[in-house]
Amino acid sequence: MAGLELRNLAKSYGMVSVIEGINLDVKDGEFVALVGPSGCGKSTILRMIAGLEDITEGDIYIGGEVVNELTPKERNIAMVFQSYALYPHMTVYRNMAFNLELAGRPKAEIDQRVRVAAKMLELEPLLDRKPSQLSGGQRQRVAMGRAVVRNPSVFLFDEPLSNLDAKLRVQMRAEIKLLHKKVGVTSVYVTHDQVEAMTLADRVVVLDKGIIQQAGSPMELYRQPANTFVAGFIGSPSMNFFAATIVGGVAKMETGEAFPFNPREQLAEGQAVTVGVRPEHFQRSGSGPSLSGPIDIVEPTGGLTFVTVHLAGQPTVVTISGDDTVKLGASLTLFTQPEQVYVFDGASGRRISEN
Amino acid sequence: MTDSAPPIDAAIAPSSGRSLGIKTKTYFYAALLIVAAVVLVPLITTALGGFKTLGDLRGNAFGLPQTWMVSNYADILFSQRYWLQMGNSLLIAGLTVFLVLTLAAMAAFVFAHVRFFGSDHLLNYFLIGLMFPAATAILPLFIRIRDLGLLDTYWGVVLPQVAFGLGMSILLFRNYFRGMPSELFDAAFVDGAGYFRFFWHITLPLSRPIIATVGIITFVGSWNSYILPLIMLNSESKYPWPLGIMVYRGEFSTDWQLILAFITLTITPTIIVFFAAQKHIIAGLTAGAVK
Repeated sequence: MAGLELRNLAKSYGMVSVIEGINLDVKDGEFVALVGPSGCGKSTILRMIAGLEDITEGDIYIGGEVVNELTPKERNIAMVFQSYALYPHMTVYRNMAFNLELAGRPKAEIDQRVRVAAKMLELEPLLDRKPSQLSGGQRQRVAMGRAVVRNPSVFLFDEPLSNLDAKLRVQMRAEIKLLHKKVGVTSVYVTHDQVEAMTLADRVVVLDKGIIQQAGSPMELYRQPANTFVAGFIGSPSMNFFAATIVGGVAKMETGEAFPFNPREQLAEGQAVTVGVRPEHFQRSGSGPSLSGPIDIVEPTGGLTFVTVHLAGQPTVVTISGDDTVKLGASLTLFTQPEQVYVFDGASGRRISEN
Repeated sequence: MTDSAPPIDAAIAPSSGRSLGIKTKTYFYAALLIVAAVVLVPLITTALGGFKTLGDLRGNAFGLPQTWMVSNYADILFSQRYWLQMGNSLLIAGLTVFLVLTLAAMAAFVFAHVRFFGSDHLLNYFLIGLMFPAATAILPLFIRIRDLGLLDTYWGVVLPQVAFGLGMSILLFRNYFRGMPSELFDAAFVDGAGYFRFFWHITLPLSRPIIATVGIITFVGSWNSYILPLIMLNSESKYPWPLGIMVYRGEFSTDWQLILAFITLTITPTIIVFFAAQKHIIAGLTAGAVK
């Protein structure tokens, strides 16, 4: 086991730069999720850590040593792929044993390690089957088993759950978390699904356009997003944004409604800002200034109901309890708390409110 | 933990829910029968012709033999010459297939997986070979083989056949290899396999269909090859079967019934091999066509 460090990591294809100066420290045993929209470079970073992609600039350290020029095997990493990438012609047992065979381990040791891993992942009854005879969840577990048998320093996951259906995904998510608890190996997990990232990881790194937007614990990202991108990306349904200007210390919208908030720096009068309010932070009762508008869409999901309200000239998603009944077309009046109003600089997107 | 229904096997699942009307069915069967007849009638005529006397063959080319001359076949089967020529053909075809498969698979693997300077040009160079039938190059080929001292040896036939077979084989192999998921290579690389082990442990075991396809095409090509052995071989002890037929051509008359019997006996092995490998061939030719 070992920690992982990325120092000024950069990648470009010819003139096109896809990753710019990534700095990241993953502590020994930590579970870090890289999350971002498709094309943000998260998979490229993972492949660079794995040694499947050349590094244009910067260094990768595993266990304190630069591994830039080492092969994946020499880096002692294990990777779980999106399509599982199981060898179709080999049994589950051989799939798991293959890397140990290549490493020339004695047969008895291979057998013992495969059986330990199979037991941990409850794969014992499946060892003689071929991958084509397994269900999606079982294949996923074989892929993890293949990674576990080699006792890697670092575990890499490349969107391992995106090929599964919704229910299985939740189940496998729990299994991955359990597995990490059992083996305690430093793990890097790439996903585009922020829920997956938040539920699994000790620390979430949000990427966009090849740059780290913010890194922190899941709740930190949710409560104190660094900028509009992180604020919009983390949380589901995502945050509502309104364009506004600073007038007399409050954020005033063109339509006249105002959001009081707690600034964390000197504000300029007339400064263009973006106001962000999470759907779950609208209250139906309260004091102070309020917003109201007609209900356009009602989406019940059971425990919660998502209501799209036409507020301040734009559709705004509001989460209410599933027990509350609302009528399509009826008017809804909503209140906000100053500490739950996020305000971002209009030009840079940086958060300027204290939350 | 997760017990799910067994995956649907596309091979046995019904391809469509519609059943055909009687008219369409009749039409299909009629069309297929005609096509099948085009292939089968000459084969059957040949096989039956081998049982006839020369006079019978002249007068009654397509019907059943008046007297079944089993001796036509028996004489050939019990002659040493037949087995010698079959052996020669088999040796030449076997060597050709082995060399083509080995060389083409390795070259195609490199073209499919390794990007290097000039790889496209090199591939084109191989493919140019597709444009020249061996017959057009026969004179320079003869001179080169003579200079190499390989005239009247098996290698004199095998090496040119391999050279002319490589272009098509590399093309088929390369397309198949490129259709394999790239994540498999990544996974094997992470597992500690280099190019060579990946080729040996992952690519080859997964390439059975294309190996069968290329193998059969090469085998049949070599088995039926006439012009190359004719030019390169001089001693009758090294003749493959297509040259052996010539024995039955006399100066003034030809024993056609013996030729037909001989042909029937010589193409039987290829038919057997084809049926054995048929399943793989169909899979190999269509692989990668539809995802």
